[in-house]
Amino acid sequence: MSTATPATPAPGPVDEKRATFEREALVHLDSLYRVALRLTGNAADADDLVQETMLKAYRAWDQYEKGTNAKGWLLTILRHAFINEYRRRTRHPETVDLDAIEPYSVFGDVQDDDPQGTFFDRIVDDEVLRAIDQLPEQFRETVVLSDVEGLSYEEIARILEVPVGTVKSRLFRARRLLQRKLYDYAVGMGYIKASPA
Amino acid sequence: MNCRECTEHLYEFLDKELTPEVEREIRTHLEDCPPCGEHFDFERLFLDFLQARCRARGAPPDLKRRILRELFDE
Repeated sequence: MSTATPATPAPGPVDEKRATFEREALVHLDSLYRVALRLTGNAADADDLVQETMLKAYRAWDQYEKGTNAKGWLLTILRHAFINEYRRRTRHPETVDLDAIEPYSVFGDVQDDDPQGTFFDRIVDDEVLRAIDQLPEQFRETVVLSDVEGLSYEEIARILEVPVGTVKSRLFRARRLLQRKLYDYAVGMGYIKASPA
Repeated sequence: MNCRECTEHLYEFLDKELTPEVEREIRTHLEDCPPCGEHFDFERLFLDFLQARCRARGAPPDLKRRILRELFDE
């Protein structure tokens, strides 16, 4: 009497590579797309950038240490691809003096009329994304990695290849700038009264 | 810790990036200083708002199909 069950063929190296890639890399597709969209500023380029990133990542998959931070690794590849191949033809390098941007909170303007910031609730997603897209590139990428993707300062520093202190200062200025843009928009739309100068 | 020092650490506090000691100092200051407390609450609401507005969207379904086809020739 035989109780042997049919043997399942052992997965080959290609199947194994594909399986780990799907499990550890492709699951981050949404994140890569959101970041790509904010970097390139349009859906067609974001599609191409993500596809390019996944191809590069698959080719380099043997160099990725499995089980470590795949999302950070992929975002680093994406950012390099963007800088080398897309920025040149999509957006021109900016010449903004980031240090000249004075980061002051809009809280001072709204603390009497709307200290809870309820005017923010009336601002729709597209308007917020548009305001992010108008930030200088270094601010935009920092805010996207932090507030859109929820990465830690350390992870952001590694991806952007800057010190953690730089991440902190960019994030501080970026958020304040964004807050100011959204406040100005809300004033323009009549969601909140402008504070007397 | 005074108001200025406290505000300098505002986002690090909200992002939970501070050491436990500094975080404790800030909490103590916020309990004793209602204006800073209100300001921090406002900034927290702003970050919650920002994150809620930006995290909803993902990649278009067709993109994953394109990538799978490109990678695995499906």
